[in-house]
Amino acid sequence: MSLAREFVKGIYKENPIFRIVLGMCPFLAVSVSVENALGMGAAAGFVLVCSNFLVSLLRNAIPSKVRIPCYIVIIATFVTIVDLIMNAYLPDLHRNLGIFIPLIVVNCIILGRAEGFANKNSVPAAIADGLGMGLGFTFAMIVMATFREILGNGTWLGINLLGEAYTSQPLLIAVLAPGAFILMGFILGFFNILDNRRKGGAR
Amino acid sequence: MPEARRFELAMSPHVSATATTRRVMTDVSIALLPALAAAVYFFGFRVLLLTGLSVVAAVLAELLCLRFMKKPVNIVLDGSAVVTGILLAYNVPPGVPWWLPVLGSAFAIVVAKQAFGGLGNNIVNPALLGRAFLMASFPVLMTAGWWAPLANGPAGNDSWDQSGIPSADLLEADVITGATPLNLLKQTYTWDTGATEALEGGDSEGAEALRRKASGVRAMLSSEQTRLSLFLGRVGGCIGETSALMLVLGALYLFARKVLEPRLPLFYLGAVALFGWLFGGPGFFQGDPLFHLLSGGVILGGFFMVTDMVTTPVTKTGRIIFGVGAGLLTMVIRRWGGYPEGCSYSILLMNLATPLIDRYTKPLAFGEVKKND
Repeated sequence: MSLAREFVKGIYKENPIFRIVLGMCPFLAVSVSVENALGMGAAAGFVLVCSNFLVSLLRNAIPSKVRIPCYIVIIATFVTIVDLIMNAYLPDLHRNLGIFIPLIVVNCIILGRAEGFANKNSVPAAIADGLGMGLGFTFAMIVMATFREILGNGTWLGINLLGEAYTSQPLLIAVLAPGAFILMGFILGFFNILDNRRKGGAR
Repeated sequence: MPEARRFELAMSPHVSATATTRRVMTDVSIALLPALAAAVYFFGFRVLLLTGLSVVAAVLAELLCLRFMKKPVNIVLDGSAVVTGILLAYNVPPGVPWWLPVLGSAFAIVVAKQAFGGLGNNIVNPALLGRAFLMASFPVLMTAGWWAPLANGPAGNDSWDQSGIPSADLLEADVITGATPLNLLKQTYTWDTGATEALEGGDSEGAEALRRKASGVRAMLSSEQTRLSLFLGRVGGCIGETSALMLVLGALYLFARKVLEPRLPLFYLGAVALFGWLFGGPGFFQGDPLFHLLSGGVILGGFFMVTDMVTTPVTKTGRIIFGVGAGLLTMVIRRWGGYPEGCSYSILLMNLATPLIDRYTKPLAFGEVKKND
């Protein structure tokens, strides 16, 4: 029961991007295509689950004064694993994500979950939390990338949706930085409306 | 008690102004009409269609936004959406497809204006942000839609080239890559750099040729004929920006109606002229201030966009800083930036600095003592 709740909360109620607004840097930078979004989501999700697991396991062994460096070392270990595996088996995706793979080390979501959840909770709860947060991050990435790829490129996961007439003259700004910020504003606004409706209904 | 009515009591302020948003917007729309007439004369009736569509799109977008946000729908009657629509259409080339200004003004209203809370709360000029949006989204359409003016000089006279600029023998056929005078100017900067590089590489003949080409075009751009073309609007450019004469006529009307405050436009135009003369030419103090004033969007921006009441400073000193800053940025972009024209981006950048400028130029209130710290 409680494990399921820890898992589910990350997807919508405490979605790291749409509700807590953490990890904006990779979110805004990498969400230009659904393929990148899936890759980034999977990489960050893997690191999140593994680091949550290890931090929770070692939570009584890590002295609280040096806990942040310890978390960084743990996270960096898994990031290195992801980085090398991606480079070996998915070189194209690795090239697209570029610097944002090593930057997972300082991703606020992962550090935030380690500091805010994993070091206070049992190992199963930490894993459930990591899975939920990872899925929530991936979900947010896919939502954003769907808008950006369709508007800015006319495709979804590389499949041409809007035809030649559109792809020859797409709304380029959607795949540029300003487009990411503008769409982010609208998506956050939409989630706030949903939230207000929900609260209003409960009252 | 009827006798009490003889002493009317009212709250301060006791001085009232007749200026309402609606009146100001109507005046601005009227002042923009002469430029539209010039555009129709030089580019044909298509520009009328584009401007009309842009205005309709802006008003519709505003209506839908107000509806969606459950605000009183009659706000749309203040006319600010109409002005945004006109200004946006004035900022696109005449050869663009019809949906481009429609998309631009919808973006201007929805994102730049209503998303920030409507008129008075927008941090940047909506029409200019609409233009920036179109430039980022459709760079090809926004820079290739130049049209040569229909009425470009005596018919059948080949001394007038596509851009409406008299083509001298100096101008070789491969020169015309863009049809606006500012594109040509940008080209001369490239040639200057090329000449310097060629000279460093030991190719003095090549350097000499490039330099001759650049100075030839420069001389042509500063010629009396070009100046006349620029002044009348007989050059390629965005719909509303080409005719300095008609824009100045509109601005004079606004000055007469006391809608425009002279500080902003004067300091902006002055700064463009000054910095244009300083570094707008091949070397320092060799620029042509008149050319920089009359070309591109400086006159349109200087009278109708730098003066936007919402997005510019309210203090007197602040307005001077704003005008000079925008003028400097315009010239910096023209000289060293990636685009031939920097007017719109310079105003957008200064819009963003406006709250800061206002904060640092706040005058002392009556009776307040200046602190010595």
